[in-house]
Amino acid sequence: MEPIIRIEQLTFTYEGARRPALKEVDLAIWPGEFVLLTGPSGCGKSTLALCLNGVIPRDYPGSMEGKVLIGGRETTSFAPGELAGIVGLVQQDPDSQLCTLKVVDEVAFGPENLCLSPGEIDRRVRWALDAVGALHLWDREVYTLSGGEKQRVAIASVLAMQPQVLILDEPTANLDPRGAWEVIDVIDKLRREEQTTIIVIEHRLQRLLPLADRLLVMEDGTLGEGPPERPRAAYPAKPPASITKEPLLQVENLTVDWEGRRLLEDVSFKAHRGEIIAIMGDNGSGKTSLLMSLLGLIPPREGKITFAGEDITSLKAHVRARCMGLALQNPNHQLFARTNLEEAALPSRSLRPGGADEGEIRRLLGEFALPPERLPFTLSLGEKKRLILVSLLAYRPPLLLLDEPLVGQDDDRIGELLAILYGHAAAGGAVLLVCHEVALVSRFDRIFFLEEGRLVIDAPPARAWEKLCALGRREYLEGWSWDD
Amino acid sequence: MGRLGYVPGGSLLHRLHPVCKLLLLIIYTGVVWTNARLSYGAGLFGILVISHWAAGLGFMGRSRRIISFSIMIFLVQTIFVRQGVPLWEFSLGRVTLAFWSGGLAAGAASVLRFLNTIGSSYLFIATTDPNLLAVALMQAGLPYRQGFMLITALRFVPLFQYELIQIRRAQMAKGIDLEGLRPRQLAAAVRHLLIPLVLSALGKVDSLAISMEGRAFGLHPQRTYRVQCPVSTADWLTLLLFPLLLYGLGRILG
Repeated sequence: MEPIIRIEQLTFTYEGARRPALKEVDLAIWPGEFVLLTGPSGCGKSTLALCLNGVIPRDYPGSMEGKVLIGGRETTSFAPGELAGIVGLVQQDPDSQLCTLKVVDEVAFGPENLCLSPGEIDRRVRWALDAVGALHLWDREVYTLSGGEKQRVAIASVLAMQPQVLILDEPTANLDPRGAWEVIDVIDKLRREEQTTIIVIEHRLQRLLPLADRLLVMEDGTLGEGPPERPRAAYPAKPPASITKEPLLQVENLTVDWEGRRLLEDVSFKAHRGEIIAIMGDNGSGKTSLLMSLLGLIPPREGKITFAGEDITSLKAHVRARCMGLALQNPNHQLFARTNLEEAALPSRSLRPGGADEGEIRRLLGEFALPPERLPFTLSLGEKKRLILVSLLAYRPPLLLLDEPLVGQDDDRIGELLAILYGHAAAGGAVLLVCHEVALVSRFDRIFFLEEGRLVIDAPPARAWEKLCALGRREYLEGWSWDD
Repeated sequence: MGRLGYVPGGSLLHRLHPVCKLLLLIIYTGVVWTNARLSYGAGLFGILVISHWAAGLGFMGRSRRIISFSIMIFLVQTIFVRQGVPLWEFSLGRVTLAFWSGGLAAGAASVLRFLNTIGSSYLFIATTDPNLLAVALMQAGLPYRQGFMLITALRFVPLFQYELIQIRRAQMAKGIDLEGLRPRQLAAAVRHLLIPLVLSALGKVDSLAISMEGRAFGLHPQRTYRVQCPVSTADWLTLLLFPLLLYGLGRILG
């Protein structure tokens, strides 16, 4: 049997880059194999995926040496679009790869381009949607779908091409545990029932590793066979910090509506100095809305917010920002400046008494391995998130509101970020942080769990996990053991 | 009028071929702008109201902006057109305002022209599935690359609206407020608004291009469609009878 994918001594350097993104990569993948590809952010995993579907070197300028053969034929010999029926790539962000208005049209898009008959197109659409368990979404408008549903539709739209190789680039990165398990079930079903060759690029391995035939580890552009040389570092426990009796933040009966939809309903809680609180819940349950409402970015319908004993409910966001710093889930929305240094100093200019402290900012940038003069938009997702955090730490707001800050970070970086957050709490600050990593948030003081805009759990981790099980939300704890 | 967009329904207007509806809109708008008679404008408005009702859509009274803009058009016309006989005159300090019979007629005709144009466009948008319109246009001969420019533009409009809101919120989170800024600060704030939006758009275009090419877009000079949009007898009859209706109306009201 011939390998479906063979890579020989592949080296690729993006135009203008000093170092190659891929270095002398050799690889053979056999039909029906399920390969898991992992490695730190920015190590070249997505570049390898783009080489496999022929987009590199055709659409990305750069120098390429070596060969990529699909079914024994070099990718450079295929016309644009010709590889579509052989290699299918599902990218990380489903929102930007769906090009039509309805689910059925999205899944039919590929087969229509192959000039198939209407009957065959219909058959493939049904089969692909059924394969990902999304037949019920048939007539839905794309913009009304949840993150997990969009990801399933993105997979179905590629499956409808009936590719021999399916590549999924971080398919669960933006999903809540329920959505992530749904996608993993789809991958498992395809592996078992369709014998599709599957390559999944992932940071978080524990859920997918049991299904994979092989683990490949990429580091700084070079590829090696797993398991990773270094076992996952244990997350450091939070050192004891003195938690004040008086709350730093008090929220009473907060109800928030937006465009006719209820985002939060009757939410009440207290957060104290020294505390780190994790916020969990499904996509759309109100986690981001809660953080935004605390800062005043979404006006409340009812309720009261008190900060350090002062009622701030009527204060505008740019005033509240002096006492609470928010990092949004998508860092691209928060980057405005030309250099990392300028970006990190931006909030300090308007929010820190005395303006920006350049020495302190340079120190923080160094601590987070961010070159001061680099253009922020060229950073990886994980680096961008770290830059936003630096910009907040630079003006030292007592309360940090962080929306998924750990997505895109490798284990070493997560350890460093935790140390920073623990330091912030020890210095008398508080942190509210959206995160679904149970092994990690078990180190924190409290867990909030939101369901359809309601705060249904507010408890220390051990008690919170019991309550989650009682709510029938065991999927949040799967792939994790108490020993973690 | 409600929010601008397709309103699903099963009325005859909803079922008509999208290209047929586009032709009807062109004919109707052409007649509106080439005929200035007040009575004819009122007749066309009557057809429009009946069509809205038949399509299950509300018409006037739903949009304050349309009403206020109509009132403004009417007032401007009645004040500045001085033809016919003077009906009423009054002074505001040094300024004397007079309403003439010709001004009233011109104001009413302008308002009707405005309502007929806006109303018919709204009716077209509200009864035509944009995806189906693009497919129908492509099946009628529009090159499919152009057709998909329309579809992807429609797909990304709500996405970019959402992004703009998020970027604005991110600015406020960084202590930047657009209210009360001096012109120079405002220019910097707007720059901060546009840079992430443009970069985000470029990133999405990149991702979209990979996704579309990865699904064989552009591989063949032609493509097939899951849904067919055949022109029915009802479409042909409507195309034939509608101009006759407008002609007949013109004869009666002329």
